[in-house]
Amino acid sequence: MSLLRYESQVRPPLVVGDKDYHQVTEDVCRPVEARPTKLWWIGFIISVLLLCFGIFSVYREVTYGVGQWNLNRTNGWGWDITNFVWWIGIGHAGTLISAILLLFRQGWRTGVNRAAEAMTIFAVMCAGQFPIWHMGRVWDAFFVLPYPNTRGPLWPNFNSALLWDVFAISTYFTVSVLFWYSGLIPDVATLRDRAKKKWRKLFYGITAVGWTGSTKHWQRLEALALVLAGLSTPLVLSVHTIVSFDFATSVVPGWHTTIFPPYFVAGAVFSGFAMVQTLLLVTRKVLNLEEYITIEHIDVMNKIILLTGSIVGIAYLTELFVAWYSANPYENFAFWDTRANLNSPYGWAYYCMMSCNVLFPQIFWIRKMRRNLLVTFFMSVIVNIGMWFERFVIIVTSVHRDYLPSAWGPYYSPTIWEVGFYLGTFGLFFTCYFLFVKFFPVVAFAEIKHILKKSGESYKNNMAELEHESMEDFANIHGHDHGA
Amino acid sequence: MVIKEQFIVTKRYRSISMLLMAVGILAIIALYIAHGSKSDPKEQARFWGSLLQNSVYFLLLVNTAMFFICSTILSWGGWQMSFRRVTEAISACVPVIGVICAAILFAIVFGNNHEIYRWADARVVNEDEIIQFKSGFLNKGFFVGWTIFTIGSWALIGWKMRKLSHSLDEKPLESVEAGKKYMWKTTVWSAIYIVVFALTVLSSTPWLWLMSIDAHWFSTMYSWYTFGSTYVAGIALITLFVVFLKNNDYLELTNQEHLHDLGKFIFAFSIFWAYLWFDQFMLIWYANIPEETTYFRPRGYGIYSGIFWLMFIINFVGPILILMSRGSKRNYATITFVSISMVFGHWLDFFQMVFPGPNPDKVPMILYDFGVALGFAGLIMYVTGRALSRSPLIIRNHPLIKESIIHHT
Repeated sequence: MSLLRYESQVRPPLVVGDKDYHQVTEDVCRPVEARPTKLWWIGFIISVLLLCFGIFSVYREVTYGVGQWNLNRTNGWGWDITNFVWWIGIGHAGTLISAILLLFRQGWRTGVNRAAEAMTIFAVMCAGQFPIWHMGRVWDAFFVLPYPNTRGPLWPNFNSALLWDVFAISTYFTVSVLFWYSGLIPDVATLRDRAKKKWRKLFYGITAVGWTGSTKHWQRLEALALVLAGLSTPLVLSVHTIVSFDFATSVVPGWHTTIFPPYFVAGAVFSGFAMVQTLLLVTRKVLNLEEYITIEHIDVMNKIILLTGSIVGIAYLTELFVAWYSANPYENFAFWDTRANLNSPYGWAYYCMMSCNVLFPQIFWIRKMRRNLLVTFFMSVIVNIGMWFERFVIIVTSVHRDYLPSAWGPYYSPTIWEVGFYLGTFGLFFTCYFLFVKFFPVVAFAEIKHILKKSGESYKNNMAELEHESMEDFANIHGHDHGA
Repeated sequence: MVIKEQFIVTKRYRSISMLLMAVGILAIIALYIAHGSKSDPKEQARFWGSLLQNSVYFLLLVNTAMFFICSTILSWGGWQMSFRRVTEAISACVPVIGVICAAILFAIVFGNNHEIYRWADARVVNEDEIIQFKSGFLNKGFFVGWTIFTIGSWALIGWKMRKLSHSLDEKPLESVEAGKKYMWKTTVWSAIYIVVFALTVLSSTPWLWLMSIDAHWFSTMYSWYTFGSTYVAGIALITLFVVFLKNNDYLELTNQEHLHDLGKFIFAFSIFWAYLWFDQFMLIWYANIPEETTYFRPRGYGIYSGIFWLMFIINFVGPILILMSRGSKRNYATITFVSISMVFGHWLDFFQMVFPGPNPDKVPMILYDFGVALGFAGLIMYVTGRALSRSPLIIRNHPLIKESIIHHT
């Protein structure tokens, strides 16, 4: 362990203002302990109403069958699977932040990880709805689970990417919940200790599972965080990889291409960070957390959005190029005649996707834009629209025209119940998010305290004199033997 | 603490690198006599294939060092500062090996032997509809232009980055503000490098140099896969130089913590490589479309299957088992062993990427190629050693160097 907690002055501070530990606690706990504001109630009620509409839409579909949706003979998948992949993608930023950035020792993750992890969990919950209700006979949903059954040799098809999805997503969900919850424990314990009302004491007492903040507890918690990070790092890749297998293992032109897995993962991180931006820009403003979720955090996340957006862009161009290069007429048809052709039925969707995902994010090359809140908010919404179109383009353009022109499906557009189902998941997502914001600290303040004396503004100012020490002096005084 | 800033190329170091280069030249001569001078085009292709495989592999390998520098600059990494000069020195090999590689590539494209690049043969293009269709991309003019752009831009930006770094030696940064400005300048150049890298290594260049050997075959993953392969091997190469310098009492500020992180990189990116390998292989295997499976037929199932699976074991099973524990990443012996096996394993990977195309009937005698590889290893030793000796080993005035001194993983 390094004895000195030091970072270079050229790095901007991650916690702004003259904070001490107590101030941090006060700042983050205040919104949880105060009564909900009017704004909160308005948002919450709208979310619940949306959720109700979603429930009603699903009720229609379950009662009257999948015919309530506009799926047709070639478009067996439409909005439902588009939305499924979209939500799953959004659920990627949280675990990336909590797991991969933890392994990479990125201090800035502490400002945003809690909200991002919560968002991940809610997004995966939303995503899970779509394949389940798309089954039509949802009462048979348990068929996907492999268990000793009375149907003789009838088992789930282990060779199917759809079954891999079941395992991948449920694993991902479980580990994400564990990660989120274990990180919450010290913060919840603080809330418990501060609680005055009986029910709060009870609620936070139960959720804090007896945390005392002893060294031993911290040691175990940090060990657990590392183990979970190790476990969930492959999960960040595996979930969207397997979602991409849903398409890529097939022989459908436009779906079957080897670059799908890594580029789906990049796209998922892309949309996940966009959603984190959307939520946090509002949250930090409403809850006065600008000193913890600083402009630096937003800048860094915009860089990640630029990076992943460009990776996705390279992948799109690679696909287009190889579709031509393959000299395969079906590949050429799928990419050049159907997608990149503005006059084809869904050409508009392709160009929507290209501009929202690849073209517009290039604005983040400019530092000023990365640090502009309005631009960031606008772009974060644009990116998620683009990523929605990506999945729509992949799914619908590839299947709406089969090999024979006689099997070209009619133009697919959703019914009100398909749209309603999608809106309903927004309701579910935001209902959960509003409850989360109300009952739990949005910023992991125990972790903020961990970086405070290294990256906090006032502490950094105190360390400024270290910059003037010569390298040798610094190494002699603060360096330490690591067994060479 | 007294810091030895000047790396001195010892006599022994120089003789070993010369000896290795001599082995390489001998191997090339032997290969030429045994195969290259024969009239059979397949035999000739055996000779040129070896030069192609080795030069492209080692070029991408040393170029990784600059990618490592630029990506860590963009992500504001501080830990690698204590050995930054090592990565810079490795990247100084890019112009040298780049010229060699370009010469070999052009010799293959413009020579009379078209077993490797069949698309370079006008007769084949006339008869083969598929290759004809691709001739907008697979033609000599574009090949030459893009190769020159690729190697030229790597060399140029690499030179600029090294110059920026060396400018600190003479002119220390006076204030924090000057430090921020310096960081900004390097960030801009790193970003330019990364964009060029994306346009070359991550997309078009491997299509031209390698994928076009199997001119009918295509895979969107190909370039990313090539990147995964050379990235992990490139980190292993950096690690080898760091260990070598540590063993010779240099790099006092680099300790087990830094080695540990390099080990983590090797561990993580060997899994990343395996991930890309699995994606490409499994998707083609699963869909089972003849146009695509032709690639894996000789490799996974035919006469090259021994090498194919051996390299998979070396490149994935080895590091994941060996580097899982903390201790092995901090142990000089194990990390050296894994690093050497990574450089070798991915060299094998390139062997199976190149040869099944021109030599589908017989697996070439790999010892020749290994000899050529030793020659390139000697060249890398020589050039890197020279570059190391020309500037201080420690980038003492960098704003992040102090973070590196107290780094713990």
